[in-house]
Order: sequence, then structure tokens, then C-alpha cells
Amino acid sequence: MPVVELSYSHLQKLVGKVTKKQISDYLPFLGLDIESEDNDSVRIEYSPNRPDYSTGYGIALGLQGLFGIKTGAIKLNIKKSHKYKISVKPSVSKIRPFVTGIVAKNGKIDDKIIKQFMAMQEDLHFGIGRKRKKSSIGMHDLDKITFPLVYTTTNRNHKFVPLNSDSEISVSEILNNINVGKEYGSLLGNSSQVPIILDTNKKTVSFPPIINANITTVTTKTKNLFVEVTGINKEDAEDMLSVIATILQSAGFTLEHVQISGLKNSSPKFEEKKISFDPNLANQTLGLELSTSKIISSLKKSRLNAVAKGKNILCTIPAYRFDIFGPMDLVEEIALGYGIQNLEPTFSPSQTIGQTNPISNKLKSLDQIMIGLGYLEALNSSLTSKRVLYDVTGRDPSKILSVLDSKSQEHTILRNSILPGLLENLSRNIHESYPQKLFETGSVFSLNDPISEKINFSGISTHKDANFTEIKSILQSALKIGFGIDLETKTSSDPLFEEGRCATIVVDGKHVGIIGEISSKAIETYKIQSKVVGFEISLSDFFFKPS
Amino acid sequence: MSQVFHDIEKKIIASLKNNPKQTPTSLEESTNLSSDQIRRGIEWLKLKDLAIVDESKTSVVRLGKNGIESLQKGLPERRLLNFLNDGPKKLSDLQKDLGYVFGPAMGLAKKNNWVKSSSDEISLQNFPSELPGEKTLKKIGNDKVSINEIDKNDLLGLLKRPDFIIEDVITTKEITLTDSAKLLEISNVSGAIDVEAKVPQVFVARTHPLKDTIDEIREIFVTLGFSEIIGNMTQSSFWNFDALFTPQDHPARELQDTFYLDCIHAKKIANSEQIKKVSESHKKNWRYHWDVNEARKMVLRTHTTCVTIKHLADNKPDEARVFSLGRVFRNEKVSYKHLVEFNQIEGVVVGKDATLRNLMGIQREFYKRIGITKIKFWPTFFPYTEPSLQTMVYNERLGKWIELFGMGIFRPEVTKPLGISKPVLAWGGGIERIAMMKYELDDVREFYNNNLNWLRSTTKCQ
Repeated sequence: MPVVELSYSHLQKLVGKVTKKQISDYLPFLGLDIESEDNDSVRIEYSPNRPDYSTGYGIALGLQGLFGIKTGAIKLNIKKSHKYKISVKPSVSKIRPFVTGIVAKNGKIDDKIIKQFMAMQEDLHFGIGRKRKKSSIGMHDLDKITFPLVYTTTNRNHKFVPLNSDSEISVSEILNNINVGKEYGSLLGNSSQVPIILDTNKKTVSFPPIINANITTVTTKTKNLFVEVTGINKEDAEDMLSVIATILQSAGFTLEHVQISGLKNSSPKFEEKKISFDPNLANQTLGLELSTSKIISSLKKSRLNAVAKGKNILCTIPAYRFDIFGPMDLVEEIALGYGIQNLEPTFSPSQTIGQTNPISNKLKSLDQIMIGLGYLEALNSSLTSKRVLYDVTGRDPSKILSVLDSKSQEHTILRNSILPGLLENLSRNIHESYPQKLFETGSVFSLNDPISEKINFSGISTHKDANFTEIKSILQSALKIGFGIDLETKTSSDPLFEEGRCATIVVDGKHVGIIGEISSKAIETYKIQSKVVGFEISLSDFFFKPS
Repeated sequence: MSQVFHDIEKKIIASLKNNPKQTPTSLEESTNLSSDQIRRGIEWLKLKDLAIVDESKTSVVRLGKNGIESLQKGLPERRLLNFLNDGPKKLSDLQKDLGYVFGPAMGLAKKNNWVKSSSDEISLQNFPSELPGEKTLKKIGNDKVSINEIDKNDLLGLLKRPDFIIEDVITTKEITLTDSAKLLEISNVSGAIDVEAKVPQVFVARTHPLKDTIDEIREIFVTLGFSEIIGNMTQSSFWNFDALFTPQDHPARELQDTFYLDCIHAKKIANSEQIKKVSESHKKNWRYHWDVNEARKMVLRTHTTCVTIKHLADNKPDEARVFSLGRVFRNEKVSYKHLVEFNQIEGVVVGKDATLRNLMGIQREFYKRIGITKIKFWPTFFPYTEPSLQTMVYNERLGKWIELFGMGIFRPEVTKPLGISKPVLAWGGGIERIAMMKYELDDVREFYNNNLNWLRSTTKCQ
């Protein structure tokens, strides 16, 4: 979850007459988690579906609603203008066909605001921009640019001075040598042409979705901003721009239109969405009996507009709230505006009879039997390592089921057997008192169109007199006394077991497992001091079948 | 209440009350116990701070071979004087009568002027009634006598002579009762044993502590009218993500968060209607090219929700209360608070009672039954529920609120494409977090370490 770092005093200034405590009490009811706080500063975790909460301005709009200081939808006031135009050339159609933009004037820009804008931009890039693939932003100093602009393509030898650089370098060099170029260059594929925004003097403004030109860098001396968003579809680019426009307006900027034409592009409209819904849906879903006017005022507290229209409520949703898909999303907005803290839990007893799964029941009986036989239950991960499953045991590693890119070396392959894990457990307990007797039941995995999951049962015992007879007696009693199952053992061999002291377990003529004395080689590798005996059987093959 | 003692202890205490300072030997006599029983009894009483044992070392003397002979026949010099008492004797006769002791006897007698010798005749000159050493011989007799009780000057002569006197150092123990023992009331219940004594630790075979919590949670939900369903841990991306309205380009689906199985794809993921409707919902709402091959990729389930949603999609119940419980996986760095594999409970309610307040009520009832009463609800976000809440519970030991179950109502974008027409409440969360609270653990890894010391010593939680 993304995190934004803010100060309470700044939030107080933005929200209005509220105390620091009121703010910290109400943040969670906007769906925001306070990750940590230290005097005035606070780190707030927000959900990725609300990029408007990536700045204090957006959070302040939400808080104003909850406190009732300002309610209803935020209306964008965008001054019509013919000064700012972007024309789109057909050559971008196959690479990144859409561009949109806005001009924001007369704001106060200090280091804090720049930091917040950068954080918002990063969050938009990562989340709804899908790491700049769907859409990406360029934020510029308006006064360094001469309109009209052209959004076109250029070849990879095109040179300009990129952000944070003092000399001209080519597009190829940017993609090969600069970090951001290396990270996002793959979005442009192998085409010889790349997207570029040029101003009327053919000066480079931006090389989307990679980097801006150095000349348009936003600094504390910047007064007026130009923001462009490029992307692979129009709606997503405009969604992203609507968040930025809303935040810029809240931060005190005056917005002006940018006219866009060419290809399938057009000027952004920041269109509001209208959803009509039956107030009963809200009451039924929440378990409340709210009046229509209460529902409307709750929606307004969530910074939406709503009016009664016949039996229904018509809700108007500003463009930046593209997380709202339909009426159910409005039900949540009503719940938030009403206040989650005001929802009293209710409990209606069940009319149905609950049942444990028969598999769980049977495994529980098996647990009880094994405890009666003096065995302690162990639990191991089903995602384990090659070392535990194969290297130590000498088992055949030819059909490994591995996961991709595990962050933990000890968890890279799915187990196809439980016993190697129990043996490893013993190796970690060689200083504890003996005898040591463990059992485990759990899933094992094997390749089988595509994967079969079975439940296995394994036991292990180590002490100075451990022997085959003992472990066979244990398994025999567990199955016979617990479940009326008879077993036989047939001479066999297995790399995990000592030659001549290993048998397959046969139930109803079927080979269901293996039992014996663990090989001295494995015991030595693990530095276990006494003899070890163990077994493993597949329960899925006979145990869970109805008799 | 009177204290219970072993019979041996009782006899020793009684004897010492009679006769407050005793040696083990005197206790043996007074109690009729064997020396071994007395030794053990004294040791027990000493450990309980009921008896004081003072050890002292004393030198004792007893007679050697020559001493014993002299006690019976008289000292050699006494025998010599006795021979001469009835008149002078020839040297050769004396030698014959006294044998090998003649030499030393003669030497002493001459030195002390008890006899005088002329050419070949020895005659008595003086006949003392008591010779040096005779008093000591008589005093020692056949006993061991403390050196303190003996005239040192009289002993000295004998000590110089071979094998007359043997000196020993012996340790004597003197046993007395402590003040508290003197006041003891002693139970007279016959056959009583010391039931307050410490005993050795034996190890209990048991189910795993985490399993106990899992079983407890399972039982609570069954009691609340829910039935358990079980599903595979390996799932197609379709059921783990697509069916739950998580777009294919969503960051949560990336390798860094989810375990994908290397080169393994599901052949049949769902029926064609389900695939068609789900893909349409994605295309319409998320505006991207939905790829069936992406949905075929097999993953280790990141939640048990895939099991419940498939159950609902396949059965389309009008009313249902089911839950699923099992291992889920996240590609995370293992730490004290994160595991790659952990247990999750997931429950759903379908039907007329499916309201958000009821969902909250089920949570409150569950937490109450598991022993958590301080809870609150906060709004949150999940891709597949709307509205969505999370429970915060107060951890008394840590003195802070922690996040437990997430919950919500399945979005229409999830249910409609799968043909589920009734509202579905859903909730779920990690079981280890609850178990950590119960077992007061700060490191979640302990549950999977299989550390015998911990497994054997941790108190079972109820």
C-alpha cells in the first residue's frame, strides 16, 4: 500500500477549524491508515484506488466532507483559452496514440509542494498508469514553453538536454545509459521511432513516457504549470489528468484549457459521471433504514453530488472519482459519509447447520490417535527447498515443481513428500531430550495435468533403540485401532532409507507408502546422534474414500 | 495443617525432640533404622532446613597388636619385673622365658634402675606398683578413645614403641533440629509421602499449538452454522485473480508478490460461459486486452477466496454459509512478521441476511468467542468487495490496535459474470496473527520452526 508523508499543521490549514486529534481520529474513517506519527508529521497509508489521497490536498477534501465543513462534489473551474494547443501527428498512433493536458497558473510553489507533486506523479505512474505503460505524466514550467506544441515521433538519434542533465544526449543514449531510460525503455518496443513533444520552436518539451526536457524543470521559481499526460487509451489518460487537475485546483492554481486535436484526440472534458440508483439498495446492503435525504447528505459528505429523482437518487460523480463503477460503489460512499463508526453490528442466528469437512474430521481423528501413541505434531511449509527435499535425502530430483522468483531461498519448490521435512526438524533439535517422535499430515504436490495435490501422513522417531519393528507397530496400530485398516509391508528400497531396512506399505493390495530405517548417510549429514525410523503414506489413495 | 513426612524423617525428628544432640550412630540406636536410612533421612531434613548437621574431626587411639598383647600379659617390662620378684634370675633363663620382648624390657628396666645386673645374674632393685604406660593401656582397653581423654605423658612412651598404639582421625556428625523443626506438628497419617516434593518433567505428545487455534476457529464457524469447504492450494490465475475482478495488469499479480509455478498452465480453467463473462467484465471496466493465457498461469493461491468464489460460481446457492480454511502464499521476505506460507480463514454468507451490519455482527460474534472483545471497524479497499471494511482489534499485551480480518460484500462486477444473483458477504484473514496473540509470540516464524523445546513447553490455549 502506498504511503504519503504529511504534517498535521498543513492538514489543519487546508481542512479548516479542526484539532490535530480530530484529524487523526477521522483519517481511518476515510479508509486511511496512520502508519506512524511523530509530533506534527504523519505517515498515511492509502488505497491504490484513491490516487487523489496521494497528497494532503486530496486528503483535506475528504476530511472537509466528513467534518461537514465543505460537502458535495468538487467542481473544476477551467478557464477557456485558445492559447494552448497540442496537435497530434498520425505517426504516434502505433506507439502511444493519446495525449491530453492542462495549464495551471498562479500557484505558490515551494519545496514541499514540489515533493508532494512528485509523490503523486510516482503513485499515478505506478498504480493506474501501470508503471507508465497505460499512461504517464510530464509536469513542466509553462513559461519555458512556446505554444502550440506538437505530439509526434522522432528517431532515436534525436538529441535534447533531459531532466537533471546539462548536455544534449540522444534518445538512444537516454534509453541505454540513464536509469529511467533503462527501466521504462522496453515500453517503446523496438520501433525506430519514439514519441516526442516539441514546442513551436522545435525544442523538445518531453520524451514520453521516459523523461522531460531539462529546460522545463519545475522549481520554486515556477509560477505557472503545464501538465501533459500521454497514454495508450484516451480514457485512462484523461482519468489521470483529472486527478492532477483536481489536486492543482485544490492547491490554489487557476486552471486553463489545453486544446488537443489530431488523430482520435480531443480536448479533455473532465466529464462527470451520473448514476441513478434505488435508495433501497443502500438500505438493504447496509442493513439500515435511511431516509432519502440522509442518503443524499451522506453522499455529499463523501464529496459527491446527489438529488432525489422520483423514487431514485441521481448521483453525480466528478471525473477524478473513476474508482466508482456503479451503484454498489455509491453504497460504500454512503456508508463512509454516514460514518462507519455509526454502524452498529447486528447478529442474526443461522438457520443452517454447520458441518466440518469430512477430510478435516478424519485428519483430526488421526491427530488424536498419533498423540495417543506419543507423537508430537509438527508443521512444515509445503513450499520448501531443494536442499531439504533432495540434496540431503538422495531422492530423485527429476520432477521438481518450482515457483518463479522466490524472495526466500528456503522456499523455492513445492514438497512432494513430508518425511524429509520431519528429518530436517530432528536435525534442528539434536540437543533436546530423547526420544523424539514427530508426525505431520499435509498436502504434497506432483506434476499431473497440471498438478495433483494429495494429503500425506508421515511419522518419524529417533532414540538410541529406534528400530523398524517399533515404527511398523506404530503405523499398524494407528491405522488399525483408528480406522480398522490393515497393512502389510513388502521389502523394498529407497534412497532415503537404509538398504535392507526399507519396505513399501501395502493396503488392500495397493502401494500407499514407504517405511523403514532412515539411511545412515542422511543421519550423518544432519549430525543426528541416534537411529531414526520413519514412514510416509498417501492418505488420498485409500483413507478418504467412502467405504 | 500438619506437614507430611516420610516415616524415616518422622522417627528422626521424634528422637531428636527427645535427645536434641545426636550422632548418626546414636540415632540408629534410638530409632532402630539402618545407617543408610539415617543418612538419607538426615539429608532430606537438611534440604528442608529442618535439621542442622555439625561435623567435627577428632583424633582417637586404639591398641595395636603389641598393645593388645601387653593388655593381656602385661607390658614386657612388667613381665620381667614379675619374674624377678621372687629372686634374681640367670640372664639366659630370662631370655628363654620372655622371648623377643626381653631386649626392650631389659633396656627399659636398666634405664629406670628397676633392675641391676652382675656377671650373669639379674636382680630386682625396685618394684614400682604402676609402670609408665600401664594406666593408658588400661584406659584404652579394647576401645577407641579420644586422645583428649588420655594422659599425654603416659601415652608418649607407648606411642614411640612399635605397634602399641594406633592413631585415627574420625569425623563425627552431630545432628540437631532447627528452631522451626522443633515446632513442627507431624502428621500421623500412615503411608503418607511427601507430596510437595519437586518431580521430574515429562513431555506431552500434543497437537501443534497453531493447529489448536485452527481447530478452534473451525469449530467456532461450524457452531455459527457454517460448513467447511476445501480447495486446492495450486490454482489457476483465473480463480485466484480474474474471477475476483483483479485486472491482469494489476501490480498484485506480478511475480514479486505472487508465486507462479514455473511453466505450468491450467488446461481447463472454468466453463466457457464463466470465462466469457469474466473477460467481458474486465474489458468493459478496466479497458485492456484480456488474455486467456494469462488466466491459465498456475499460482499458489494468495487467498482462500478463490476456493469460495469457485464454490459459489459452480453451485449458485440462494442461501449459503460456507467457510474455507487453509494455507495461502505470498512472495515475501521471511521476517518476524511475514511468512511466505500461512493459514487463512475465509467465510461467506449468501442470502437475505447479507447486510453489512450483519457482516460486522458475525465478526463481533467470532471475536467474542475467540476471546477478543475490544474491536472496531474501519473502511478499507479490496478489489473484489464493495463496501469493504477491516477489523481492528486491541492487543492488550502490546497495548495497540492491530489489523485482523478484512471483509466486504462481493462486487457486482465479481458476482454477476459468474451468475451469482444474491448478495454475498465475505471476510477473511490470517490465522497466525490470532495465534500470535493467544500464545503471546512476537515472531511468527516460531510456528514453523518445530523447535521441540517450544512445542513441549508451551501451554495449550483454550
